[in-house]
Amino acid sequence: MIDVKNIHKQFDRQAILNGVSLSVKKGSIYGLLGSNGAGKTTLLNTISGVYRQDKGNVFIDQQPVFENLEIKEKMVFIPDTLYFFPQYTIDQTASFYKNMYSGWNEERYVALREVFGIDTSKKIHKLSKGMQRQVSFWLSLSAMPDILILDEPFDGLDPVMRKKIKNLLVQDVAEREMTIMISSHNLREVEDLCDHIGILHKGNLLLEKDIDDLKSDVHKVQLAFKHDTPSSLFSSMQLLYKEERGSVTLAIVRGDYDEVTAHFQNYDPVIYDILPLTLEEIFIYEMGDAGYAIKNILV
Amino acid sequence: MFDLDLRSRKPIYEQLVDKMKELIITDILKSDEQLPSVRTLAQQLTINPNTIQRAYRELEAEGYIYSIKGKGSFVSPASVKATSEKLNKVKEELVKLLSEAMYLGMTMEQLQQMLSEIEEAVKGGSNDD
Repeated sequence: MIDVKNIHKQFDRQAILNGVSLSVKKGSIYGLLGSNGAGKTTLLNTISGVYRQDKGNVFIDQQPVFENLEIKEKMVFIPDTLYFFPQYTIDQTASFYKNMYSGWNEERYVALREVFGIDTSKKIHKLSKGMQRQVSFWLSLSAMPDILILDEPFDGLDPVMRKKIKNLLVQDVAEREMTIMISSHNLREVEDLCDHIGILHKGNLLLEKDIDDLKSDVHKVQLAFKHDTPSSLFSSMQLLYKEERGSVTLAIVRGDYDEVTAHFQNYDPVIYDILPLTLEEIFIYEMGDAGYAIKNILV
Repeated sequence: MFDLDLRSRKPIYEQLVDKMKELIITDILKSDEQLPSVRTLAQQLTINPNTIQRAYRELEAEGYIYSIKGKGSFVSPASVKATSEKLNKVKEELVKLLSEAMYLGMTMEQLQQMLSEIEEAVKGGSNDD
């Protein structure tokens, strides 16, 4: 559905995106993660056709996006800094959206009033930050987009509203096969929502994978032995990280769960724990590999 | 129907598969009973529908459920596989517990006595029926 091919983008001769390629399937929820200043927002702006890329292509349904009205009508982008027309009320903004989006669903707009419970005759710029976010979701979902692009979408929302909005998003994905792209720093937040993730760092995509494959591929292992730790313990393993904490060895290894377990059981450890990694741990590990490691600096 | 632990390290689809298996093995979900649709479950649990689809595919591949096109997914009639899987789980637990008991100084005789007592109790129970 979304195909990004080798995109380059520069601002003031500073390269922000260095040949990013990714693809998102229809009906998928794609999480875009990355370090600060990695180029996430630039990438999302390019995919939604706000920016024109210097090199490369962005295709949605095999068509280039930039200045393509037909595609843009089926797509909604909620940026990290929201924009509403000054002095407009919710109702007035809704009627603007109605003119812009041919798929506008008035019934849904009315039905969602129940969910958000905000007076539609209020001026949007007088609402709080969190309420403005709610209004942007309200209007976006009423436009019935095929593609929804969200930049840090849950910022400023309380836990109840977050859950409500996630629930609405999931319903649209299940019923209409809506495609969602989300960028976020809150890894817990995207962990339960996304099925694919991509990690961006310094304008390059470090990795792109199915989230369940990613998690079942890497394990955290804790081992302890009665006697000395056998020297050949990790010889045939794909070891990513190792740490000795007293007599307990903590290691991060890559491989199939059953194979890893069988391998270590051979050495007959007294303590053996194998845990899948959280997305946060995967992120930190992958970033460390790319030279963005955590350094504890004393000040 | 059930809740998932979103904080757990276990991937959500694995949790789903395990929960479903448990419900099927314990007969809470009966043979030929219809499972909730992907859509309903996604909405109830607020999780990605693709994850649920994947879990259902896995369960079908393992023979726990079957699907009829246009109708949905259903629980397979009690399979041998399900019982053997449960038996394996129980065995694993037993090994853990028995190792601990032996470590704490329980003797073979005591264990054997316990076993015969349990056997008696189980038999006695079935006689009451």
